[in-house]
Amino acid sequence: MIDVVVFGVSAIIVLGGALGVVLSKNPVRAALSLVASFLAVAVLFVIQQAHFLALVQVVVYGGAIVVLFLFVIMLLGVDKVEDLDLPERSQVVAGIVSGLAFFGLICAGLFVSGPGGDEGNVALTGQIGRNPIDSTDDINQLAADIFTRNLVPFMATALLLTIATIGAVVMVKNSEADSSLPEAEVN
Amino acid sequence: MIGAQPYLADGVDLGDIVLAVSKATIAFVVLLVSVMLMVWFERKVVSRLQNRIGPNVAGPFGIFQTLADGIKLFFKEDLIPERSDPLIFKLAPYLSLVPAFLTFTIVPIAGDFNADNNGSVTIFGRETFLQVADAPVGVLLFLAMSSVGVYGIMLAGWASGSKYPLIGSVRATAQAISYEAALGLSLVSVIILSGSLSTNAIVDVQAGAGAGFLPNWHLITSAFVPFIVFVIAGTAELNRPPFDLVEAEQELVGGFHTEYSSIRFALFFLAEFMNTVTMSAIIVTLFLGGPAGPNLGLLPGWAWGFVWFFAKLLVFLFMFVWFRATLPRLRYDQLMNLGWKVLIPVSLGWLLLLSGLRLASENSAGVTELRFIDSDSFNTVVFAGLAVSIFLVATLLLSTALRDSKKNRLKEHGLVMVDGSEPINTGAS
Amino acid sequence: MEQYLPIFALLVLAVLFAAISFIASRLLSPSLSTVEKSAPYECGIIPNQEPSERFPVKFYLVAMLFVIFDIEIIFLYPWAVEYMNLGAAGYFAILLFSALVFESFIYLISKGALDWGPLQLNRNQSAIAGKPNAFSTATAGVRIVGTEGRFEHAKEVA
Repeated sequence: MIDVVVFGVSAIIVLGGALGVVLSKNPVRAALSLVASFLAVAVLFVIQQAHFLALVQVVVYGGAIVVLFLFVIMLLGVDKVEDLDLPERSQVVAGIVSGLAFFGLICAGLFVSGPGGDEGNVALTGQIGRNPIDSTDDINQLAADIFTRNLVPFMATALLLTIATIGAVVMVKNSEADSSLPEAEVN
Repeated sequence: MIGAQPYLADGVDLGDIVLAVSKATIAFVVLLVSVMLMVWFERKVVSRLQNRIGPNVAGPFGIFQTLADGIKLFFKEDLIPERSDPLIFKLAPYLSLVPAFLTFTIVPIAGDFNADNNGSVTIFGRETFLQVADAPVGVLLFLAMSSVGVYGIMLAGWASGSKYPLIGSVRATAQAISYEAALGLSLVSVIILSGSLSTNAIVDVQAGAGAGFLPNWHLITSAFVPFIVFVIAGTAELNRPPFDLVEAEQELVGGFHTEYSSIRFALFFLAEFMNTVTMSAIIVTLFLGGPAGPNLGLLPGWAWGFVWFFAKLLVFLFMFVWFRATLPRLRYDQLMNLGWKVLIPVSLGWLLLLSGLRLASENSAGVTELRFIDSDSFNTVVFAGLAVSIFLVATLLLSTALRDSKKNRLKEHGLVMVDGSEPINTGAS
Repeated sequence: MEQYLPIFALLVLAVLFAAISFIASRLLSPSLSTVEKSAPYECGIIPNQEPSERFPVKFYLVAMLFVIFDIEIIFLYPWAVEYMNLGAAGYFAILLFSALVFESFIYLISKGALDWGPLQLNRNQSAIAGKPNAFSTATAGVRIVGTEGRFEHAKEVA
């Protein structure tokens, strides 16, 4: 009973936050809505007894990623309402189409897997015959999983991070080169 | 092993709710009173260190000065700057205050950890720990709350629509995220030693005597390095001197709360000092055994736990005040260099060293499905060789990178680095 | 989920405390706002310059670096809880992962992502033993501002 209430409230916050991200005129308010959405998703993880995942959701998504977003927003100086250009019509259409496609994908996944029993949604997770995560040791199970079965994806994460770093540096170097030009002319 | 309050293990009834609410209320009152005393303590100690008297009018030794100041703030005009974003401006104090309250929930403040006791007591027929909650993610809740707490400062500065708060808040955010990484890495060393995330278990591991007459504290068993990193990073995370660039008066007026007045300012102030108390309590829990300590009789065991906890807490509260009175503020580049180029590599290297050493010396590690290295060949001697070579390679890489970056910067200024770092001018002239 | 009950209780208390404080303050405090009071703080003078709308791009790199280390740290926690059971294999996995993260860190440092503030130069004391000149002051470790023309001028003097 209490699970249902908590689920309902946090689901409303998740959806409300997501709507806020899309509908806010102000980028900083949009980012804040995103934080609300992320934190509510963390609550959903807690209902599923995935406590460590909830923590990751708060620390990595709620903490690091949105701080990165906010820095970018402040960096570009787009945090004023009037600076925000309305998207092109083609962008709106593309957004709606890809949103619907993604929604369809999720529905298809749920339809194929059927209602999740104690075994979890087999089709979605691809894991067969696994025990449902026990509330007492989800972090231990996770560790045993990452460092044995899923060692290669784990290492791939590190490579992905390296690529992201290089991308960030290249972008920054370009933007520094761009921004230094007009200043030199003024001086 | 994940933390769990024994009494909440199976279902909730009315008694559980009463217990939970009463614990939360006690923690709430304790936090508010401790903040009141901490502000007084800080002002009094700093005054004495600077050869002044400090507050001495309100109450005995001026102990009610904070209360008087707090009440005064209720009567002050609450201004909302015209260029602010009113909604976020009003929301920011909440975002700062709520995480400050919640972090304290994981701190065990009393309990008997001697012999076979695990610090639990029985209240209303329910076995419970003397802490608000032992959340399933245990000590990591602290990390989550500190990453959420950043938003209060960042959004306060942004929403003020004024330049000093904005600069202060961007500085604060960059500082907080820089030192959060070091904080998290030194925390891993503690988890390696205790094998658990639960704060109660972390304290329990540290109970009793270690080598000889020394206590079994993580401070000693982790050989001081994670502790030092944690204290430095914790001080920076609190934006306390010498890391208080966020509110450097000479440059930024009041920093992120320049535009805040009345009770909104009071809430930021409250959160700041609450974080100081909580950080001290967490340092005590992680590295100094929290409430663990010998039972000297007269009082019940759990009360001795509180005595030890409070004595250890006072040491760190005094340390933070002492830092403020003694150390000059860092420059921004020094701050960033210390955080990234010293604390993070040191704490990362130390935890790998610590875990490798323990693994090599135990050498009786359990069985995993994917064992591509023979456990027997991984002994202490092999590991020592490995550690030394890794250390050398890492140092070489880091020094090369530092040299490289300096060379690039010199080039931007039209200078070239020659041997001995002596710049010569090849610029426009 | 029941484990979070006391935390939730404290959360409610904290929010209530802040809300009641706001209401009490609104009832007790005067409201005499003027244009001057609600103007952005500028030490009493009238601001004649808009604050900069953009921030140094280095803050973005710091945030990026933080994301990377945050993810590394997040992977370290499950390993730290289980490392005794994972044994040497787990240890070398985390060692390799740390090496890869360290390598991005080294890359960022060498690209100057963490260079803040002015250049730190070790000046050759014998070279500037004489009078200070334009070159020595320009490289004295302070930020170089408005250097245009200075080196030419120094050459003319010489």
